[in-house]
Amino acid sequence: MSLRRFVFGAHPRRTLVRVLVLAALSFGMFRWVLMPIRAEGISMLPTYRSGSLNLVNRLAFASTKPSRGDVVAIRLAGPHVLYVKRIIALPGERFSMAQGQAYVNGAPLSEPYVRERRPWDVKEVTLTAREYYVIGDNRGMSASDHDFGRVDVSRIVGKVIF
Amino acid sequence: MTRRRALRAGAAVALAAVAYFVWSRWGSDDERVIRERIGALRDEVNRSADGGLAAISRATNIGSYFTEDVVVDLGKGAAPIRGRMTIMGMAERLQPRTAAFRLEFDDVGVEMTRGAATADVTLTASFIRGSQTGEESRDAREFALGLTKAGGTWRIAQVTAIDVLR
Repeated sequence: MSLRRFVFGAHPRRTLVRVLVLAALSFGMFRWVLMPIRAEGISMLPTYRSGSLNLVNRLAFASTKPSRGDVVAIRLAGPHVLYVKRIIALPGERFSMAQGQAYVNGAPLSEPYVRERRPWDVKEVTLTAREYYVIGDNRGMSASDHDFGRVDVSRIVGKVIF
Repeated sequence: MTRRRALRAGAAVALAAVAYFVWSRWGSDDERVIRERIGALRDEVNRSADGGLAAISRATNIGSYFTEDVVVDLGKGAAPIRGRMTIMGMAERLQPRTAAFRLEFDDVGVEMTRGAATADVTLTASFIRGSQTGEESRDAREFALGLTKAGGTWRIAQVTAIDVLR
C-alpha cells in the first residue's frame, strides 16, 4: 500500500469531505455544546484544582433552571475568561453569611463541599427574580481575595460537568 | 438521501462554519484600528522599564492612549481617576508594582456609534501574576470603554469596571 493511499484512502475527495465534516462537527460541539475550560486559581478548591481541565455543558439549562449546588460557568465580556462558582441561593431567596455559615431564608445551609471556613460575614440580600447567589468552595481564603456575590441569570453560560 | 448528497450537505455545513468564523472576525477599518490600539496599549503596559527616563517614556506612551479628560471608574467604592496626567503619574509611580503583573485582554468587542466618531468597547482584562512555584494567578474583570476619534487617532475617554458579581 502506498503512503498516499494510506493517508488519503482509496477516495481522497471523500476523505477530504469527511475530514471537513468532522472538523465542523467538532467545532460546533466544543463551541456551542461542551466547552472545554481550564481552571485557574484556588477559589474552587478542593472541588476544582488550578490547572484542571473541565467541560461546561452549555445546554444544561436549556430546559431546566440552575439548582442550588450546581457548579456553573459565568461569563465576563465573553466566553474566553469565565468564573467558575457554585450556586448557593436561588432567585427570590434571602441570603446571608455569619461567621462563615451560609443562611438561606434564615435557615443554615449544609455545605459538605466546604472543607475550611474563615469567619466570613455577608449582610442579608434578597435576590431578584433574575439573580442567583454564587460562591467558590474555598472558604479558607480571605473573603477580600474571593470573587462572589449576586449574578444575573444571563451571565450563566452553563453547568460544569467534569 | 443518497450518500453523495449527504457528503455534499456535510461539506456545505463545514463551509458555513468556516464562513461564520471568518465573518465573526471581520470588521470595519476603524474597528480593526481600535483592536490594534487596545493590543498596543496592552503591550505598552507589559513593557518593562527600569525607572528613570525609561519609566517616564513608558508613562507618556501609556498616556497617549487616553483623552485629556479621561475618567476611569474602577467601581467597588473607589473614587474615579480623572485625567490623562493622573494616569501617567500613576503609571510612572506604580511601575515597580505593575512589573510583577502581565496584562491580557480577552473577548474584545467593538461597536461603532454616532457615524463612527465614537466607539463602545467591552473586554475582559486579566492581571496575571506568576509565583515562585511556576503557577499563575489570574484576577479577571470586565470593563466597558468609551473611545473617541480626534485628529485621526482613537483614544480612550471612559473606562468603567463592570461588576459581574455584585
